[in-house]
Amino acid sequence: MRITLLVCVLGLARADAQDAAALSEQAQTFAEQKRLDEAEKLWSQAIHLSPDYFPALFNLGYLYVEEGKASDAEPLLRRAAELSPHNFNTYYLLGVTCRSLGRSEDALRAWRSALRLQPNNLRLMQIMSVEYSKGRYFREAAELATRALNQKDRDPNLYFLAIKAYQDAGDDATARELAKQTVARFPDSARANFEYAFHLQKDGELSNALMYLKKAMKTDAHYEEPFFFYGNLLVDQDQSAEAIPYLKKAIENRNDYVPARVVLARALMKLEKWDEAIAELKETMQLDPSHPQPHLLLSQIYFRVGEEAKAKDEKQISFKLRRENPSILEALQSRPFPQN
Amino acid sequence: MMLTAIAVGVLCLGQGVSTRNASPEPKVALSGRPFPVTFMDIAQQAGLRMEFTSGNEETKKYIIEANGTGVAFLDYDGDGRQDAFLVNGWRLEGFPDGEGPTSRLYRNEGHGKFRDVTRESGAGHSGWGSGVCAGDVNNDGLEDMYVTYWGKNALYRNEGKGRFTEIADKAGVAGDGKDWSSGCTFLDYDHDGLLDLLVTSYQAFDLHKTPAPGKGSNCEWKGMPVFCGPRGLPFGKVTLYHNRGDGTFEDVSLRAGMRIPEGFYAFTAVASDLNDDGWTDIYVACDSTPSLFFRNNKDGTFAEIGAETGVAFNEHGFEQGGMGVALGDYDGDGKLDILKTNFAGDYPNLFRNLGRGFFEDSVLKAHLGVNPQFVGWGVGLVDLDNDGLKDIFQVNGHVYPELDRREGKERYRNPRLVYRNLGKGLFEDVSALSGPGVAEKKSSRGASFGDFDNDGDIDVLVMNMGEPPSLLRNDLNNHSHWIKVELQGTKSNRSAIGATVTIETSKSRQIDAVLSQSSYISHNDSRLHFGLGDESVVRSIAVRWPNGQTENFPSAPAEVLVRLTEGSGKTVSMPLPR
Repeated sequence: MRITLLVCVLGLARADAQDAAALSEQAQTFAEQKRLDEAEKLWSQAIHLSPDYFPALFNLGYLYVEEGKASDAEPLLRRAAELSPHNFNTYYLLGVTCRSLGRSEDALRAWRSALRLQPNNLRLMQIMSVEYSKGRYFREAAELATRALNQKDRDPNLYFLAIKAYQDAGDDATARELAKQTVARFPDSARANFEYAFHLQKDGELSNALMYLKKAMKTDAHYEEPFFFYGNLLVDQDQSAEAIPYLKKAIENRNDYVPARVVLARALMKLEKWDEAIAELKETMQLDPSHPQPHLLLSQIYFRVGEEAKAKDEKQISFKLRRENPSILEALQSRPFPQN
Repeated sequence: MMLTAIAVGVLCLGQGVSTRNASPEPKVALSGRPFPVTFMDIAQQAGLRMEFTSGNEETKKYIIEANGTGVAFLDYDGDGRQDAFLVNGWRLEGFPDGEGPTSRLYRNEGHGKFRDVTRESGAGHSGWGSGVCAGDVNNDGLEDMYVTYWGKNALYRNEGKGRFTEIADKAGVAGDGKDWSSGCTFLDYDHDGLLDLLVTSYQAFDLHKTPAPGKGSNCEWKGMPVFCGPRGLPFGKVTLYHNRGDGTFEDVSLRAGMRIPEGFYAFTAVASDLNDDGWTDIYVACDSTPSLFFRNNKDGTFAEIGAETGVAFNEHGFEQGGMGVALGDYDGDGKLDILKTNFAGDYPNLFRNLGRGFFEDSVLKAHLGVNPQFVGWGVGLVDLDNDGLKDIFQVNGHVYPELDRREGKERYRNPRLVYRNLGKGLFEDVSALSGPGVAEKKSSRGASFGDFDNDGDIDVLVMNMGEPPSLLRNDLNNHSHWIKVELQGTKSNRSAIGATVTIETSKSRQIDAVLSQSSYISHNDSRLHFGLGDESVVRSIAVRWPNGQTENFPSAPAEVLVRLTEGSGKTVSMPLPR
């Protein structure tokens, strides 16, 4: 962990504050030496001596964030933000803290304050856009992504962010237009070709979509998404046998690519290649033991082949995993965007 | 200060209902063939004027206000005309004594007119009603009704001469009064010739334990505070009552295995032989939880195999906000497929029956992913243009009236949808060609399909939240032929619920099933309607009775209602009074 002391010494007239500053400085030294327990103790003492001493509040808050103690961090950062309302980092960290506490609304509120202080902070805009989308504030997500894009249109990642935001917002026309612009601007980007292909197929332009997918696969044979998507399209069109090589290539590119493995298993099931499908699903389970879908498909296979007891067991595992991790299927459901 | 990069973790803001922000699939170019179906809403002139009550229509504070009710076409007086039964709800603040709304029964007087016979029939009780199913529970030739409530349910025994007696408590099927029951279906699960009863509960709803709008992670819709649920609220259950044959029923839920599955919010229940083994199975659409498929084990028990057979989730294993169910053979392969409507932001499911009780969701392949923007409820797989292919009629309506005061495209009241079956497993959206009755915007829930004017086409009765019903008369403008089939069990239950009928012309075979409930917690005209296209003769009819026995009947001409009595082997033409 690297912590740089914030310079905030104006108005430290009181002795307590001077003591607090000294303690905080010493804590900073400990933190840099990774003696975090001692740093925590000294920052706590500093706050005890001077409850409104911003550097101690902020740095201890940050330490807690890094240690995953969000509940402890929040009151410190909140107080720090009150004391220094023009400090970007405090609001940013407060947002991170609130998000890790599952309070997305509060996180976005803090980040909006941060963005007011640094209105051109592209990284924050990206993070906020993603968070808005997750909270289903799709319009806000799209607006922010557009704002980021308008600032720096040389970065294809900002295009991809905007495409996803508009897609989530249900504005497929804008998403498609952005994807078209992206591929025109970055014609040798496999991802750009893939994005445009995705929107073409959504609009029913399958042959065009396949063309761009092929270009994406040719441009970057190690990029897994086009292979997966091409294979998935073929499975959807009942061309399971033809789909299998593409799905296998996607998995070769990314061994832990669970959606591709699941679709491969579905393709094998459609072809009634039960043993191969079972083997694929078992391997997927080892790669991601928390995923319910391989168990569900395995349950269906066992039921088909008359092994009802085993089918029931797998179903129950699938249901249990589903309850434990309800969001995992939403990720599978959506198209597999890499993390922005 | 240098901040280290912080990974963006997975975090989903809670919503009370399962949805997935699915985009509309592209609409393929229309076939260009004229669509001869025009729906006109004639409810007002026909005399169907009951205004449905279902809580507050400006703001829904609790989920109990949102789900609406079912409706039924049934011939309660045996005069050959389909009468209309409308289940009514209630409101949170209650009503002054004697002023509360009741469910209503309207007698079909012929020539497009209905008369309110609620009071004289004894079928109009007050309460927070939900669904309706019908069947002849005592095999006396008169159609009885069961109505579900938040509270005790009602069983209306048809006494003849236009009178019903409510006997649920006496018969042992009223429930404990704590559940919010939703779906129900009569069925003969043990081949004893008597109709048993299955009741689904949406949840054990307790007003005093339910958080207020916006007060929890399951109480928001796209950032807007709304009523909570169903997620986060207590789950529902399925209850099976065995008909003892002496006017009483026994709760056999535990013994029959109905309580093994847990964790669902159950709505519409459909009973039919879904795996073609001669025994009646049950499919239940569930909201935001896995839907249920109870396979009849032929020994008085059921096994829940929805996940194993592919009908619990969509093809990606995603839970859906299931509401209504239609059964029908959309692809002409002789097997009954399942169509299920879902919440907004999701596609319906078209579970194609692969045989032996296995299914595959073919919704996108069939081009039915084009309207995910609506919350779908009542639905029918019915031949609207008599061309011999099952079309689709779906009613819609959002659950949040607050949407009307918010920016955005989502609205509380929505138009209906009509899809024409093009054959080869494909549909096209012909809503825009289907007349003003389809275009009118309502927040609809239940829908019943039947031929109320006996003119040889399928009409639709629709429940609309806070408004009178719609009676959508199908003004079909073509010369295609049709036939109606009415079954009468003798060894099997008299209503023949659970039977399937296969008709054969020189060109095609069609199959359909007699159901006690489908669509959205509603009951359809029990007479099966088959469009015949340009075929004027049905060469043969085969009935698989609810007891698993198959009986063949001789040919019949088109444009008639034929009654097939079990064991008679005869096709008897019946009059169709207008």
